[in-house]
Amino acid sequence: MKKSILILLTTLLLCSFKTDTNYTIPSGETLVFAGSYNMSGLMTQLAQVTLSTETFKTAKNEYLHLTCELSTYSKWDKFFKIRDIYESYVNPTTLKPNLYKRNIDEGGFTKKEKYAIKGTSVTSTMKRKNMPETTKTFTIGASTYDVVSLLYKVRTVDFKTLTAGQTKSFTIVFDEKEIPVTLKYIGKETVSAGNLGTKECYKIAIAAKTKVLKGTDKNLIWLTADDKKVPALMKFSIPVGTGQLTLTSATGI
Amino acid sequence: MRRLFLIITALFTILSIVFVFLPLGTLGLLPVGVALIFGFLAHKKSNFLQKKLVKLLLIICALASICIIGKELLIKDVVEKDEQFENTKIESKEEDKKDLEELEELE
Repeated sequence: MKKSILILLTTLLLCSFKTDTNYTIPSGETLVFAGSYNMSGLMTQLAQVTLSTETFKTAKNEYLHLTCELSTYSKWDKFFKIRDIYESYVNPTTLKPNLYKRNIDEGGFTKKEKYAIKGTSVTSTMKRKNMPETTKTFTIGASTYDVVSLLYKVRTVDFKTLTAGQTKSFTIVFDEKEIPVTLKYIGKETVSAGNLGTKECYKIAIAAKTKVLKGTDKNLIWLTADDKKVPALMKFSIPVGTGQLTLTSATGI
Repeated sequence: MRRLFLIITALFTILSIVFVFLPLGTLGLLPVGVALIFGFLAHKKSNFLQKKLVKLLLIICALASICIIGKELLIKDVVEKDEQFENTKIESKEEDKKDLEELEELE
C-alpha cells in the first residue's frame, strides 16, 4: 500500500513538471526591454535589451536563431559603451542548442566565445582582448542549454500545474562549465508589461550555482500567465549591484 | 557654523553642476537637494551683506535641478545605430552558417 502511494505521489510530482509541448517559440518575435541599474537607491536607465527570434536555414536544416542584444543608450556611450550580443541556434521544437555565441564589448573590453555543440560534445573557442585564442573540448549532458536557450525554454514550462514553492532544475553551459540552474515558482503577481498592458504573471525565482547571481529569491522573472509566457519583468542581483529589465515592447508574439 | 554650511553648499553645488552633464538621470537631484538644504541653513545664519553669495549658490542649484528634470523629461532614451556593430552581426551570420554546416557534416 505504502509503495503504491509512493509511486502515485512520484508520478504526480513528475507530471507537475512536464513541459508544455503545445507551445513553440515563434520566429519573428521581438521583445524590447529597458535595462535599469540601481544607483544609490535610484533605478537609472542604462541600456536596451532586445530578445529576438528568427528562422535560420542551412543547406540541410532549419534552426531558430535566438538573439539577446544589449546596447547602452546613446547618453551613456561617451562614458561606458556596451554592445553585447548573445546568440543561440537551436532546434525549433526542442530548443536544444547547436551553436552558442557570446560576443561582448564593454567599455573597450572584448570577449568572444563560441560553443559548437554536437550531441553531448562541445568545442569551445574563447578570445579575450589582447590574449591568444583558446580552444577546449568537453562534454555536457544531453539536456544542457545555454543562457539564451534556457530563457526561451522556461517559457515552455507548464506553470499552471505548479504550486508555490515547487522547483524545476535545468543545466546550462556557461564559461566552459556546466552549471545547475533551479527555477522556483513563487506565485502569481500583476505587473506592467509594456505595450501588452498590465498582465497577471507567473513569478519565478532563478538560482544558479555561480558567482554571477547573488542572494536567495533575488533573481526573479515574471512571465505573463498565458500561453505565450512573455517575460514582462526581470530583476537581478549580481556582485556589483541590483537592476531590472522592464518590457517596453513586444511584437510578433 | 555659517562657514561650514557655506562650504558644504558650495561643494554640493559644484557636484550638482557635474551631475547636469552626466547621464545619471534623477540621481543628480541628490546633490541638488543637499546643497539646497545647507544653502537655506547658511542663508538663515547670514547677515544682509553675506546673503549674496548664498543666494547665488541657491540660484545655481535651482538651475541645475531644472536642467536635470528637463533632461529627464525631454530627452528620450535611444540606442544610437552603430554601423560597425551592425556589420559585425552580418559577417557573424555568414560565419555561423559555415559553422552549422560543418556540424551537420559530422552527422
